[in-house]
Amino acid sequence: MGLCALVAGQAWASPYRLDDSQSHVVPPNVQMQWRAVAPGQGDTGMEAWVRVNVRIATREWQGRSGRVYMVLPRDQSATLEAVWTTQGRLLAGRLVTGDRTLVWAGVIASDTLEDQLLVRLRAASDWGTSSRRLNFHFELDTD
Amino acid sequence: MTPRLILIRPAVALLMAAGMLASGVAQAWTLNVSAAPRRVFLHVGNGTADANSGTVNRVEVSLSGAALIGGLPQAMTTNSTQSRSLWGDGFVTCPNPSSQIMVGASYRRSDANNGPASATLSVTSPPSLTSAGGDTIPFSEIGWSVAAPGSPTPNVIPSGSFSGAQQTLATIPAGIYIENCHSFTYANSAARAAGTYNGQVTYTLTSP
Repeated sequence: MGLCALVAGQAWASPYRLDDSQSHVVPPNVQMQWRAVAPGQGDTGMEAWVRVNVRIATREWQGRSGRVYMVLPRDQSATLEAVWTTQGRLLAGRLVTGDRTLVWAGVIASDTLEDQLLVRLRAASDWGTSSRRLNFHFELDTD
Repeated sequence: MTPRLILIRPAVALLMAAGMLASGVAQAWTLNVSAAPRRVFLHVGNGTADANSGTVNRVEVSLSGAALIGGLPQAMTTNSTQSRSLWGDGFVTCPNPSSQIMVGASYRRSDANNGPASATLSVTSPPSLTSAGGDTIPFSEIGWSVAAPGSPTPNVIPSGSFSGAQQTLATIPAGIYIENCHSFTYANSAARAAGTYNGQVTYTLTSP
């Protein structure tokens, strides 16, 4: 009995992957631009800006208290940093590949969490490839 | 492209499996990002950061009869006003632009597979400066010394003299911006016919 309870607990434990299939990025394809360098310094890398219209489905979590994180899984390329501002519903923040950052906390009271993010992406110039696909997502830790 | 897709597909499959366990959905906002294209940047004299500039600066010297007969090297002046670095903190790299031409160059690539490891800075000069009367002075009569106050590599471009042909000045590693001030000198090694002698040199930064 004890073992069964433990297994079930792990399968349904936080974090919960949230559905943000209604989110979209403008533009969906972006090219990095070189950042200025100073004399004698090493490479300062590349950056790009995108706007993300975030719409996270939270209907099934209404009434629950928790924290929503934005996640950027690590890929095969160089570390990439995302820094964003918001319109106020979600929290502004910073995130690097392989990490997650808190964007919302409280009692979920609506069907959706919506906001618009202005995201600056920066990365060093050691990609090992000419392009990459970033898969951001959101996950929920319930209290 | 194909190797990249092979790497990514298993990752997506894993994420979907995790989502199924947690709540039955798995979505993400995705973004396709391309690396910045390879780029070279070069300015000689007055320039504009990150943009084209049509400015061609002039370096000159006027010799008196006594100086001509004396045969001593003569420092040349410029009409450049570029004293501050075009990059970074705007450091005063060439504090005396009336006698210095600032040379700045950089080469960028996104990764080791995106072009060669370095770019080549060269200068091309014609064989001679010429006067309206058809007299000539070998371009090798003009040389330069270098300086870059505050730079850890002030001699990144060595001093030298024009060869009357194309000559390599420096190798610029990827991801590095170099800066140098050139002060030009006329060797004055022989008496010349009176006149104004002109010639133009062209600096080039290439990454094949």
